[in-house]
Amino acid sequence: MRIEKATNLLPPVKRGKAVEIYVDGNPLIAYEGETIAAAMLAAGLRVFRHTPKTNSPRGIYCGMGVCFECLVTVDHVNAVRACMTQVYEGMHVETRAEWSL
Amino acid sequence: MSTDIQLAVIGAGPAGLEAALTASEYGVDVVLIDGSPQAGGQYYQQFPEPFEAGSNTKTSVQKEAQLLIHMVESAPIRRLYNTLVWGAFTRPDDPLYTLALYGPDAPAQLRAHAVIIASGAYDFPLPFPGWTLPGVFTAGAAQGLIKNQRVFPGQRVLISGSGPLQLATAAELIHAGVEVAAVLESSQPVWNGLRNLPAAWGQWGRMAEGGEYSYAMLRSRTPYRLGWSVVAAHGDTDVEEAVIARLSPDGHPIPGSQETLAVDTIITGFGLIPNTGLSRMLGCKHIQRQGQTGWIPERDKIFQTTLPGLFVVGDAAGIGGAELARLEGQVAGLAVAQRLQQISDGQLNTAYQRIQPALKRQQRFARFLENVFAPLPGLTAIPDETTVICRCEEVTLGQIREAVHMGARSVNEVKMLTRTGMGNCQGRICELWVARMIQRILDDPTVTLDSLGAFTVRPPLQPLPVSALALAAESNDEP
Repeated sequence: MRIEKATNLLPPVKRGKAVEIYVDGNPLIAYEGETIAAAMLAAGLRVFRHTPKTNSPRGIYCGMGVCFECLVTVDHVNAVRACMTQVYEGMHVETRAEWSL
Repeated sequence: MSTDIQLAVIGAGPAGLEAALTASEYGVDVVLIDGSPQAGGQYYQQFPEPFEAGSNTKTSVQKEAQLLIHMVESAPIRRLYNTLVWGAFTRPDDPLYTLALYGPDAPAQLRAHAVIIASGAYDFPLPFPGWTLPGVFTAGAAQGLIKNQRVFPGQRVLISGSGPLQLATAAELIHAGVEVAAVLESSQPVWNGLRNLPAAWGQWGRMAEGGEYSYAMLRSRTPYRLGWSVVAAHGDTDVEEAVIARLSPDGHPIPGSQETLAVDTIITGFGLIPNTGLSRMLGCKHIQRQGQTGWIPERDKIFQTTLPGLFVVGDAAGIGGAELARLEGQVAGLAVAQRLQQISDGQLNTAYQRIQPALKRQQRFARFLENVFAPLPGLTAIPDETTVICRCEEVTLGQIREAVHMGARSVNEVKMLTRTGMGNCQGRICELWVARMIQRILDDPTVTLDSLGAFTVRPPLQPLPVSALALAAESNDEP
């Protein structure tokens, strides 16, 4: 879910324009300026990949591009960090595959 | 093709912005490099460009960030944002530093007479059974999501860690309307006054909203427990519950004290690790210092490392907070101006004397915080044999134990036997915990974090597309 409330600790901000992205083929609404990570978490999607050895689910951990846990495929480009990549209209995100760099 | 410049500043957070601005003011030709599309780093993180913030409603930190960034962007400083520095080298026959870059506007290489590294820090993780489940976030991740993306990490949250940042995270979550099940502070304050720390933290000038933090917690009656930590997470595909335990004064979970909380999100914040990838690749001397988590570069009083012309400032050289980072940036900027003969020794001295009282004050404050909130040694008892320590290569404590039984006595030897630290994050998350696990296994006082060593840092510092490396190889071939 998105935070809509504004307070003195969280001053008001207007998101960018609404865009439609697809996560594993399912459409969802996101806003320009959001990362893939934020858009997916806002839609309640927390699993970004499964590990190659034990098939265990992984999601956002460090949120600043350090841990590489949130790797997804974006428009056929493998191993994109969801926490560092902003959404755009018509973006296709795949969480199913495991890609090593 | 490579370009020669006077000064490269790496990192556009509080330290790097000040360093670039100061050096530029004294006539140094500066290139400021940052991996993000915008300046600010983590502490001064800006809203993404498509977001529109109201101009009169910013927090004090946002206003301060805006002013400093505006000054830098009005100065004759060449800015290379969206640019990764994936390698840094010295050559025996060349007094200049060579930086290997990757980014849309960046040359493949830069040669610089002086380099100021201001690469900041990242969260010190806490490995515990279940910590790889989606729904476990670092404090840094949670802060970014709430403040800059305005997205909830979850509905019912446990915050566990150490230090003042936890209260900021808690207050922001409460303001956003998230239920905070509890805030656990692992450290057990040594004097009673510290029981009132939430209020005392309000005095912490830089986090000027500190009073607001404790007020938000009091008003929402959020439980604040001293001497507790998360010790496990349970769930099928993501977090469904957290197990917490009372800790002994040195951080060992006390058997029988466990409680279970139904939460969907766990945020851990046990302090920060200086980001030393580049300074280690360059090979200046690094040390461990009581109170700091991880390796830090050894520096003199103008923040020069053991390599002449290489400076490290801000949290990248030891966690001290934004205000100290800014002052260190100013000193290093001046020192480079003097080194490149833009100012005299006398001018440098005069300016240094002017900055020194504030610098001393911030250093004292940083030492106080690090002594009270350093990660407790007993936390190393939390992982069990099946707990993953290296998340990338899925190496467990049990596998590290096998490697130690085979004779591995350093983090690099464990790496060779188990692949810890060889995955995508290149050991940034696990390095300090691999060392702590070897220490726990050997249980020998002569085995220190110093003697266990550090992972060898090799280029590329970040995983890069192969095309970028090919381009770099080509540019190296040029005469």
